[in-house]
Amino acid sequence: MTTDLHSLLAPYALNALDSWERERFEIHLEQCADCRAELAGFVGTAARLGDAAHQAPPAELRDRLMAAVATTPQERPVVTALAQRGGLRRALPRLAVAAAFLVGAVGVGGYVTERNQADNYRADSQAITSVLAAPDADTAVKTFGKAGRVRMISSASKDSAVIVASDLPSLTHSRVYQVWLVKDDSPASQGTFSRSGTMIMKGLHGVDHVAITVEPKGGSKQPTTAPISTIAV
Amino acid sequence: MTRDKTSGREQPVSQNAPQSSASPLRLAPAAPDTPVDLGDLLLLVARGDEAAFAAVYDALGASVYGLARRVVRDPSRAEEISQEVFIQVWKSAARFDPARGNAKSWILTLAHRRAVDAVRHDQAATNRENKYDWSNGPDFDEVEEAVTISLEHEQVRRCLDGLTELQREAVNLAYYQGYTYAEVAESLGANTATVKTRMRDGIVRLRDCMGVEA
Repeated sequence: MTTDLHSLLAPYALNALDSWERERFEIHLEQCADCRAELAGFVGTAARLGDAAHQAPPAELRDRLMAAVATTPQERPVVTALAQRGGLRRALPRLAVAAAFLVGAVGVGGYVTERNQADNYRADSQAITSVLAAPDADTAVKTFGKAGRVRMISSASKDSAVIVASDLPSLTHSRVYQVWLVKDDSPASQGTFSRSGTMIMKGLHGVDHVAITVEPKGGSKQPTTAPISTIAV
Repeated sequence: MTRDKTSGREQPVSQNAPQSSASPLRLAPAAPDTPVDLGDLLLLVARGDEAAFAAVYDALGASVYGLARRVVRDPSRAEEISQEVFIQVWKSAARFDPARGNAKSWILTLAHRRAVDAVRHDQAATNRENKYDWSNGPDFDEVEEAVTISLEHEQVRRCLDGLTELQREAVNLAYYQGYTYAEVAESLGANTATVKTRMRDGIVRLRDCMGVEA
């Protein structure tokens, strides 16, 4: 029995998921274009339900807000370089989108390569979704700095785990985060990322833990620094 | 909502107008019937335009406050939530992605999520204090009230009336009262799979009835 993630679409639009299910579903959403397309209509419908309850707010609220925004700094638009976004070697939703644009630009010569990447991406997306939907999916969270988080959702039955990194501290000197599966003290590289990304790791059997190290850009064959974090599998 | 403004209806200058980051964008008065495009306004808000922010508030303040009030009931809590929502809009307007839906939906989604989180948080605190047993579900009266909730908007009410009772209860308890689908299932004595299906059928029917573009 697996949880059918698709059945959570309407509860998600109505905000009827608990926080853990909501988070899991949002990871799935990143992978599922069909879900996003259908969600738009559901969210629009929910917004109409919300709008129907409208009621004039107290007049002081407007004044308070205008006073507050005058002294409240705004988030700057995120303009992430493609290279920085595409730090992960595998399962790169955003890079794959970029790749889709590139198909046209590169022309026939580049097509086969790009298509293979798209196929890989699709396979990885399906693998990620199957881990998220696994009934034995288990989650572990590590925090870094103020807002940085690495979440690992693992499933023994799928023999796989999904790593979701978000807002990790920026690294200087062209360095990247590298993820390793450590089995009998021997680390196997799973890929690199700069600050955020999603990756799927397969073959968890016998793995002791996942380690994250900081490595030179492009990654290392073996870890060259002590792990900044380990997550037990 | 109606609010007296010295300059009447406002709307941003067109996209290709010369813009300088140093001087705030001027808001040109528009013909009374010209709808203000909230998405355009949010673009201006993202660049720090306070007049555009005021226009967004004037367009959606009543929707956000009314929704918060419906979910949390308490007027001062609803006001608090509305303030948080609009500060969030101000701070993160740059994150609004028109490709994922319209501006109104985005802001009402922020508002609804905050209101639901607040009501769940408050409920959890009350439960800890009162050792209230959730397994009993809400009082019958409360469910009745949810079902017969009176909505000003005629079309929305008509569309809700077009749902089956279980669909309507599922949508009402979740959306207007902040229940998770598991809590809805418990309070209606249905299984969770059924409730998820009813929510889906209900929202599809509402979408079609309201003519919301997918």
